[in-house]
Amino acid sequence: MIFADILIDGLVRSGVYAMLALGFALVFGVGRVLNLAHTAFFMVASYGIFYFVGIGTGMPLAIVLSSIGVVAVGLLLYKLFLESVREMEATVLIASLASAVLLQELMLLFFGRQYGRVPEVFSGFTRILGVRVGNQELATLALAVLCLVGMWVLLSRTRLGLAIRTSAQDPEVANLMGINVSRVVQVVVALGILLAALAGAAVAPLITVEPHLWMDRLVIVLAAVVLGGLGSLKGSILGAVILAFAEAFVVFLLPGGSYLRTAVAMAIMLGVFLARPEGLFGAGIEEES
Amino acid sequence: MAEGLRVQGLSVSYGPALIVHEVDLEVGAGATVSVVGPNGAGKTTVLRALSGLVLWEKSSSRQAGVQLVGEVWFGQERVDHLPAHQIASRGLILCPERRRPFREMTVEENLQAGAYLVRSRKVAQQRMAEVCRLFPVLRERGRQRAGTLSGGEQQMLAIGRALMGGPKLLMIDEPSTGLAPLVKQPLFARIREIKTLGIGILLVEQDAELALSMADSGYVLSQGRVVAQGSPAELLADEVVRRSYLGL
Ligand SMILES: Nc1ncnc2c1ncn2[C@@H]1O[C@H](COP(=O)(O)OP(=O)(O)O)[C@@H](O)[C@H]1O
Ligand SMILES: [Mg+2]
Repeated sequence: MIFADILIDGLVRSGVYAMLALGFALVFGVGRVLNLAHTAFFMVASYGIFYFVGIGTGMPLAIVLSSIGVVAVGLLLYKLFLESVREMEATVLIASLASAVLLQELMLLFFGRQYGRVPEVFSGFTRILGVRVGNQELATLALAVLCLVGMWVLLSRTRLGLAIRTSAQDPEVANLMGINVSRVVQVVVALGILLAALAGAAVAPLITVEPHLWMDRLVIVLAAVVLGGLGSLKGSILGAVILAFAEAFVVFLLPGGSYLRTAVAMAIMLGVFLARPEGLFGAGIEEES
Repeated sequence: MAEGLRVQGLSVSYGPALIVHEVDLEVGAGATVSVVGPNGAGKTTVLRALSGLVLWEKSSSRQAGVQLVGEVWFGQERVDHLPAHQIASRGLILCPERRRPFREMTVEENLQAGAYLVRSRKVAQQRMAEVCRLFPVLRERGRQRAGTLSGGEQQMLAIGRALMGGPKLLMIDEPSTGLAPLVKQPLFARIREIKTLGIGILLVEQDAELALSMADSGYVLSQGRVVAQGSPAELLADEVVRRSYLGL
């Protein structure tokens, strides 16, 4: 049943990568900030789960607490290091990379070199169409789908969503409509961090929690948003799904696949670059809704 | 409903370039005032300053060395230090140059965005009905992406979107640019109609004759300065103004 395993693994990865890529694309589309610390928030959130579950907190509360903590830390870093240099692309790249390394070192400092395993909350298996699927995988996938659907509703059906979409398309005109664009950017940054934090929380029981977790996830996120067409939300999710399944195939079918998965993601991205430099959806943030 | 605008000593410079120089300007409550002048005179920059966009550029450091001085009074309130979104909330609303619809959104969503500040659903629906009465084509094309509209339709959408915010004074920047005469005429008929709704209008145009013909008073701007002002009849009768600044 290896293809069933690939399907489940691919779906779980898709959900997590899509959450990461969507948040990254939103922050870039609205705030014009290419935030390389994005996946470091994911890493810190998974440490948050590791810590809170370790001291006996129940999983739902652990998710809430670590998400709040990560959003607070993330906003603080954004205010301190990124907001003032927002208009200078190169400085943003360096400052956000430095922020990611800072978070990595802080986690090393607090948790040492021990690698964290978060105990599964949902142990056991469920049979779906005759295939054994881990309950933890299902829970992670469910949380990811919930978050993605929630974001879609927020963007397409609410007043805040309208403000976000107009601010992404033409911030000046959005201002002229009475929308406080600076405020919208801050809200979007917080939403992006929250998505990354929830992704980290969702997947924590399935992975080994360690300080360098952010690096290959960052590469995947960059590849996903470029693959989908920088600026397109739909594209970023599609890119995430493509890369997630590519990884799942590589991990299950190639010997030594776990070591090759990121390389394969890169190869796909470079291939798309050659064929279609603007990405699969080389459009604005707005074709959604 | 309408509110008057008073501008005193407005100057804008970008770095060493002085774009607008000590401009004084007045729009009485509910009046229509046209600002005309050659390309590059600084007309757009004046409107961008009044709507808060110059301040926005300045604060976002997208532009180095933006300088903005002068006083802008709207009704009883001084508004030159307010951020753009707050100026809009006072009812001083700009319909920007080149129309700038939200191209990827539908016509209807564009209009909803214009009504962002309108909390009451009922008021928003009334405005929508009013805008669609002025520009029926916007209702017909409601579900269409704004980017697919013709130039004239996009201009109607841009004006309609600005009207959705309930302006007391509507500033319109070059509505006729790029439009065929056949499209221009009905568009200006609609703008005249907006006048009758008790909304003040500050109209910037290159087509001086058309703009002045519907105004209560006019200003001629050249190289960032007001070089002439007065009633439309006076301005259009002044040979020097006609030849030097209006190309008539
Ligand atoms: N952001 C800017 N930076 C530098 N120069 C500008 C900027 N905006 C406008 N200008 C210059 O200011 C002058 C007046 O422009 P503008 O206000 O658009 O004139 P008009 O609307 O009357 O055609 C032009 O010479 C233009 O090049
Ligand atoms: Mg202009």
